[in-house]
Amino acid sequence: MEILAGFGNGLLVALQPENLLYCFVGVFLGTFIGVLPGIGSMAAISMILPLTFYLEPTSALVMIAGVYYGAEYGGSIASILMNIPGTPSSSITCIDGYPMARDGRAGIALFGSAVASFGGGIIGMIVMAVLAPGLAELALNFGPTEYFAVILLGLVAASAVSNGNPIKGITMVVAGLMLGTVGVDITTGAERFTMGIPEMRDGVHLVIVAMGLFGVGELIVSIRANAKGALQNEIDYKKFYPSRAQWKAMFAPILRGSGIGSFFGALPGTGQTVASAVAYAVEKKVSPNRESFGKGAIEGVAVPEAANNSATQTAFIPTLTLGVPGSASMALVIGALMMYGIVPGPRLLVEHSDLFWGLVASFLIGNILLLILNIPLIGLWVRLLKIPYRYMYPTIIVLICIGVYSLNNNVFDVWLTMAFGWAGYLMRLFRFEPAPFLIGFVIGPMMEEQLRRAMLLSRGDATVFLTRPISGALIAITVLLLIYAIASALRARRRAAQATDVSSEIEAPSTSNKG
Amino acid sequence: MKHFLAISAAALVIAAPAVAEPGKWSDEPVRIVVTFPPGGTSDLIARVLAQYFESEYGQKAVVDNRPGAGGTVAADFVAEQAPDGTTLILGNNAPFTIAPTQFEDLPYDPMGDFTHIAYLGASTPALFVQPASGITTIDEYIAQAKGDGITYGSSGVGSITHILGKAVDIELGIEQIHVPYQGSAPAIQDFRAGVLEAYYDMVALNGDLITEGETQPIALAAPERSAAFPEIPTFRELGHDIVIENWTGLSGPSGMDPEMVKTINETVAAIMQLEPVIERLAQFGVEHTPMSAEEFTTFVEGTITTWEPLIKAANVNG
Repeated sequence: MEILAGFGNGLLVALQPENLLYCFVGVFLGTFIGVLPGIGSMAAISMILPLTFYLEPTSALVMIAGVYYGAEYGGSIASILMNIPGTPSSSITCIDGYPMARDGRAGIALFGSAVASFGGGIIGMIVMAVLAPGLAELALNFGPTEYFAVILLGLVAASAVSNGNPIKGITMVVAGLMLGTVGVDITTGAERFTMGIPEMRDGVHLVIVAMGLFGVGELIVSIRANAKGALQNEIDYKKFYPSRAQWKAMFAPILRGSGIGSFFGALPGTGQTVASAVAYAVEKKVSPNRESFGKGAIEGVAVPEAANNSATQTAFIPTLTLGVPGSASMALVIGALMMYGIVPGPRLLVEHSDLFWGLVASFLIGNILLLILNIPLIGLWVRLLKIPYRYMYPTIIVLICIGVYSLNNNVFDVWLTMAFGWAGYLMRLFRFEPAPFLIGFVIGPMMEEQLRRAMLLSRGDATVFLTRPISGALIAITVLLLIYAIASALRARRRAAQATDVSSEIEAPSTSNKG
Repeated sequence: MKHFLAISAAALVIAAPAVAEPGKWSDEPVRIVVTFPPGGTSDLIARVLAQYFESEYGQKAVVDNRPGAGGTVAADFVAEQAPDGTTLILGNNAPFTIAPTQFEDLPYDPMGDFTHIAYLGASTPALFVQPASGITTIDEYIAQAKGDGITYGSSGVGSITHILGKAVDIELGIEQIHVPYQGSAPAIQDFRAGVLEAYYDMVALNGDLITEGETQPIALAAPERSAAFPEIPTFRELGHDIVIENWTGLSGPSGMDPEMVKTINETVAAIMQLEPVIERLAQFGVEHTPMSAEEFTTFVEGTITTWEPLIKAANVNG
């Protein structure tokens, strides 16, 4: 009942003309950026961040969220039409989407993807509305001690379940943590690693790091990969509407995909890419139509799209209620909230309930807007992909420079962004993931701040982390999770030694894990 | 003191024969550099000024936000501009009072590199405690601090609220445990969650919490009681000489023409008398006192020397 009242209140907030407008701008911009290959929601969010400083926190969050899930919609368009994932998480959609497009069923694939995304988004929203308030019950007991414990749990959970090369992942997290220490130490006022540059006293701005690593870095990669010019492809998108049989075939996969997506979205450190990969793998095992998977099955488009869109919604659960970002994009959301002086965490639901429920309700509105927006605009997105890169990329670089300069009206920041751009390019060249770097960069300072604050408040007594009930329970879960992670890693190694020919059911085209 | 200043300022205006009239002073648009990002109190004050410069006197003005490093980035920028009246800075205690003591390698001289033009006003911080603690007077607070101890939140190391905390430590002979936050909002959140026993913050920003009984004000660091919160006693009247004000004023690069400085000072003074401006500033808890450019210069210099020992006490970087 309380949830319904909260949601009703949220609808009123989300339906305010201003919020409605920013929701629309967000999803439109998100789809636009999502369609462009190589530039994901990360770059899109960091580009609009400076803009949001002028908005109310709720409008800003609604717009950022709109860009975030709008990009997931858009990403699937490039996947289906061009076999180029617009966002990392839509790479799974390529597997069946592109064969469908080659068969002349591009319209049906796009329509199916839009419907599945809508279904996934709505289910993800319901999960968020039901689960999040429960976490808020803990709200009033959350102080620095508990914050530290929960951030620790989030970091361990992220490292225990994320994939990729663990050594490189940890290297990146540590590098991010180190960059996070630059600036005036907030507990003592001592300057750390500022190299005497006044601009460095406040540390490196999140937007600079994000735009450099993700915006500029990915552009350099894309330029090198697509040096020849615009993509050309003839698409027959006359037929849009799936047949009755196809509707029926999509229904159960959408539900299953949304369930799996909601679960992985809410787990910090996994995100949409893992969600859509797992959902696809499960569907391939249980679907009655499993033989046609990979050859243009509509289920193979619906499942990952439902999964990654529900995951984008539930990713906000740990972000807003625990202050633990599940992905780099969510880290940016936390950064944006901090700029308003709003601390994400269990108390957010109590102290900023309008913001929370307004956001949840905006998911409903945004997903409906996307559905309305995308069906008639499919032709436009196709044409967008034909703009030659020699016009597209310089435009994006200029937008990034303007965005960064507008932060502090300081050219130093623009140079710094370019430096991070090259760093991001080098990271990709040597297959280091920039996402863990950004997570370390955002979480590290938060964790340090809460740890030192908790220690100040306990007058230097470290046992406080174990004696306070919530914090003690969280630390216990963290330890159990660590034991589980180590044990399963050992087991996997033993099994790998025993049988070398264990072939996995699917090969996920991308193991990258950024939002 | 305040009245004396007001009267002497008025006397100056009457006595001086060739006084500059309020009006516009440059054909070029003037940029007012703000040391904070858009949206804060400082930014809004600058925008009020810019608006009235143009609407009342036809002086075009734009606000230029250059935040960073406690306002020193903005101050350094302004110090290097031409002293032709087209670049001004909305200064405050961060770059002019605190930074000279806090940072050893400051790239500018707060007095030598600037022409201090007009004082705008100040808001004052107060000491707040948990209503549930039962503490309502400064003596009970001292007893608690000397007994079980007190933890208090500030808006950061070297911030004005931290400096006030240090001033209270020194003046009251107690040792409170300082817990720095990034701005006062998260400190107040922790206070409301019962994590902190006390905090220092601008009294005007706590109006709602005071009325709702969510926080208990103990004493105000102003020279006299606030018009908006007459029930809060000042440290001074409780027998503790602590005055820490968050001042704001308009300055420019050094070497500005004295006639122009006078014109700007008069223009600001005239705007500060307008009813809507007074109301707007009252929302931010800023109370204006008229000062001539000379008085304002002496005022800035005075804050640097009086605050120096407190900033040193508040800072490991010292």
